Amino acid sequence: MLLVEDSMTREVVTVSPETRADEALALCRERRIRHLPVLEDGRLVGVVSDRDLRSATPALGDPARAAALRRLRVGEIMSREVITVRPDEPVEVAANRMREKGIGCLPVVEDGRLVGIITTSDVMETLVYLVGANEPGSRLEVLMPDRPGSLAGVAGIFGELGINIVSVATGPRQKFPDGDTPGRVAVFRVDTIDPSRAIEILRRAGYVVIWPPQAAR
Amino acid sequence: MSGSAAIVHDRSLEEYGFGEDHPFNPLRIRLTLELCDALGLLAGYRFLRPEPVSEEELTSVHTLTYVRMVQQAGSGTVDPAELLDYGLGTPDNPVFPGMHEACSRVVGGTVLACRLVASGEAEHAMCISGGLHHALRSKASGFCVYNDAAVAIALLKREHPGIRIAYVDTDAHHGDGVQWMFYEDPEVLTVSMHESGRYLFPGTGGVDEKGRGEGVGYSVNVPLEPFTDDDSWIECFEAVVPQVLRAFGPDLIVSQNGCDGHALDPLTHLCATTRLYEHIPRRMHELAHELCGGRWVALGGGGYDHWRVVPRAWSALWAAVSHQELPAHLPEGWLLEHAADSPVELPRLMRDDPADYPPVPRIKEIEAANRRAAEAALETVLHLIRR
Repeated sequence: MLLVEDSMTREVVTVSPETRADEALALCRERRIRHLPVLEDGRLVGVVSDRDLRSATPALGDPARAAALRRLRVGEIMSREVITVRPDEPVEVAANRMREKGIGCLPVVEDGRLVGIITTSDVMETLVYLVGANEPGSRLEVLMPDRPGSLAGVAGIFGELGINIVSVATGPRQKFPDGDTPGRVAVFRVDTIDPSRAIEILRRAGYVVIWPPQAAR
Repeated sequence: MSGSAAIVHDRSLEEYGFGEDHPFNPLRIRLTLELCDALGLLAGYRFLRPEPVSEEELTSVHTLTYVRMVQQAGSGTVDPAELLDYGLGTPDNPVFPGMHEACSRVVGGTVLACRLVASGEAEHAMCISGGLHHALRSKASGFCVYNDAAVAIALLKREHPGIRIAYVDTDAHHGDGVQWMFYEDPEVLTVSMHESGRYLFPGTGGVDEKGRGEGVGYSVNVPLEPFTDDDSWIECFEAVVPQVLRAFGPDLIVSQNGCDGHALDPLTHLCATTRLYEHIPRRMHELAHELCGGRWVALGGGGYDHWRVVPRAWSALWAAVSHQELPAHLPEGWLLEHAADSPVELPRLMRDDPADYPPVPRIKEIEAANRRAAEAALETVLHLIRR
């Protein structure tokens, strides 16, 4: 679930450098996709996006547009320096690569062969599963000391109460309200409708429960 | 505004409980019915007693494997680790003796209420032990073992082919179980208004959850900000519920009347008062008469301030169902009887005094966010709903 091969789409819609721009655009529309890997003799030679296709021709409404789209070949506008990822790389590596390069998809290549494609939507879906947002649960934000054993301490309290942890994600460093103690925020999803006991015990143990907030009255 | 009202209840329904200290405690039901009685609201009514539903009826929405698991849970013959996979034996849903029988009877209550109304024997019916909206196909969740409303709706569909049912859920928690069970069904409109899942169990109920396949447009969700008060809640209710119900044109309305959005409720972060819990049933009643000949079934649901909130909120519900005026004061007798047992001071008035509920900080931002949620909900579904 956390490798590229678990999140990628395996049935990839591809084109060739000889494909006409209007055909490629129609493919994007029909299949509701934004990126097309370009193959030549089975080899990945480029990527073209619907945006590349549109911006290479006169604007929408221009009478010359349709003719230009018919003339233009994918090979003339595709990006040739393709940034790819391997199926056995962690999904966060793919996410980071897309973020750094400012791109929306990565063709997945294994032994020089195109085996899939991973897009920002695939990564978002993985994120939803990672934080457990697809399963019933209560969301708790806890500020804990940035020290070994803190996470185990919080988890232990849930364990004692028999409450299952659906997911946990730790966030960036953040100081305690005293402005001094180094802390770190962790977001838990726990499988209970009633986290009130756990919250009470966490507070007594010195953790700061940021969410849910304490009752207004 | 005439017609007969029925109240479905039996002492045996109060066996659905998870123990003294558990928030989901049948004491809520006892206190409510005693209050209704003391207020004189039960004069001339008798409780209609339900039978437990059969295994076959339960499997209209639950899997047989799950039902078997609930049956065996009490007998101590199942590995506790295995039970956990079905959401059983957790702090939320502890196993108790006779669990399957008690839960089947709760479903029976809701089924009876629905059948009475569908057949025309009663115009409206109330069953406050119902409304266990979190139960999933194969999993107990959030105090709910069997999903009574979903079973009742499924059975009505079977007994009255073509019937269109609107399910309106105003519990503070998202009505996830019922929504998922009819997510692809255009004959069942589910509407849920609840505290946003960003902060509250079960975490779902975003505006984008609108149904799937044939059922797209027939799940409506209005997530509300934490600390939402009466005014903003009522504004959103009025903006969304009448419109989507009119667009759908139900033959029967089932409402889930959880009252855990009250400011005193320990489990949620909403700030409603009894004003909301008088408004909603009154409007559901009017909409039922406007749209489906009055056919309306009112269920209970969440509500964890057992002493101050639930008895008053659900007495107001029964008053609306049975066309009676809600008295202003709590009867002395009821107060005297319970003052010693109640850990909190009991209210003397049926309606909260607004002076006791000071304005919520940042209310303008909360109102604006809720308004956006209501608009987004309408925009998401209204063009998809057909009569």
